Order: sequence, then C-alpha cells, then structure tokens
Amino acid sequence: MSNAIRREVLFPQQPEQVWRAITDSATLAEWMFPNDFEPRVGHHFTFRVPGNPKANFDGLIVRCEVLECESPRRLVFSWSAGGPVENTRVSFQLEPDGEGTRVHFEHSGFDVAHSHGEQAFKGAEYGWAKMLKQLSAAVAGLAAGN
Amino acid sequence: MTRERGPDVFTAISHRARRRMLDLLLEADRSVNTMAGQFQMSRPAVSQHLRVLLDAGLVTERRHGRERRYHLVPERLGQVRDWISHYEQFWDDRLQRLQKTLSKRSGE
Repeated sequence: MSNAIRREVLFPQQPEQVWRAITDSATLAEWMFPNDFEPRVGHHFTFRVPGNPKANFDGLIVRCEVLECESPRRLVFSWSAGGPVENTRVSFQLEPDGEGTRVHFEHSGFDVAHSHGEQAFKGAEYGWAKMLKQLSAAVAGLAAGN
Repeated sequence: MTRERGPDVFTAISHRARRRMLDLLLEADRSVNTMAGQFQMSRPAVSQHLRVLLDAGLVTERRHGRERRYHLVPERLGQVRDWISHYEQFWDDRLQRLQKTLSKRSGE
C-alpha cells in the first residue's frame, strides 16, 4: 500500500520568482516552517514544526536532504517525520506557462503496512501513533484556522 | 475521528512482529501454532500479539475443527490510508501560503 499526493498549481509569477520562494531559507520559512535549507544537493536540513497546545501537538522536526536542485526547474528533497513518513520524497517541478509558472508538486513514498515497508517503521516503535494523531489534529487545526 | 475500544490500528501495527503477522496472514489464514513457527518468541507471546491485532479489528479468529485460525481484515488498514489525507490538507494549505507569499512579494 503506497500512496502519493500530487498537485498542480499555476502561479502568475515567473519561474525564477517561484524558485526563489521555494529555495530561499527565509522565504521558505514564510510559507513552510523555520528551516536551515540550502539549495545544494546532499545538504541535510530540518523543518521545525512548532507545537500547537490547542491541538495537543508537541511540535515536530522533519528531517530532510536535498536530492535534486536544478534552478529554476526542479527541487526534490527527502522528508522524514517518523512512522510511515520516513524517507518520503517531496518534489517541485517548475514549468513556464505563458507569463507564469506551472508547478507540479508531489509528495510520494508513503509506504505503510507493506512487507517492504519495514524500513518505513524503523526506529518508530516509540509511540509514533501518538505523533501521527497529534500531527493530524495540528494539521486539521491549521487548515481550519488559517 | 472514531473512538476505538481496544488498541487502535496505528498502535497495533507499530510493532515489527505484528506487522510480520499481518504479512503472513495476507498470504493465508493461519493458526497460532503455524504462526508461532515463524517467530523466535514463545507461543504465549505470539498469542499476546495476536490479541492486540484482534482487539484492533485487524484480524478475526475462526474455528476450524479443533483449532482457531486467524484471518486478516485488510479494510481496517484503510484508517492508515485516511491519515495520509491529512497530509493532503497540509500541502493544500502550504501551497496556498506559497501563493500568498509570492503575490505579496511581487506586489512590493
């Protein structure tokens, strides 16, 4: 059982501007979370997801590594947050579209409850169910609140 | 979210041995004894893990002559899949924020 999230978003801005928004650490923090991203392959970084007491969420560190970085076209990084979300891949593919940019977004590699998913659960035997629930609640809170 | 009486599906699949049991049951229904043959642990320990899977509704037990056989209920794993839909909400929210960030910047 594997799953991927795919989205296609059209931006009125040119690829260079979109590229900057997804690869400049400070700008990335504006729409994602505080991070120590650097636009080079092999760079390890984290997103620090703040807690949300209302959702009973303690916060979360997402561990990432830049896998592909081709300005202003393609950014891929790994995304490990524990549970079935270990070594998943987040990718942004930018494509000029008229005056703007078409972004193909994908988050893939969720591999749950499959025999090959053993790796996916490694090191996550310590109450990751709790973490999943909290994250679900926090994300639901974000979606409702913002 | 639905309230569970026993351990929930996430807790049930959080243990390596129990995931291995689900894999075995995916192939065929099995009795405790045939299951126990696949593990280093004692038979009571295997039964205990099976109990967690039973309580979570991931397996059912059926009488088959003198022994009871365990049967996988794969639909119950749908909950795990549902959880991924929370990630969809998450990214929809983030991508909207990216759009806002960009329009703010190009307006400057």
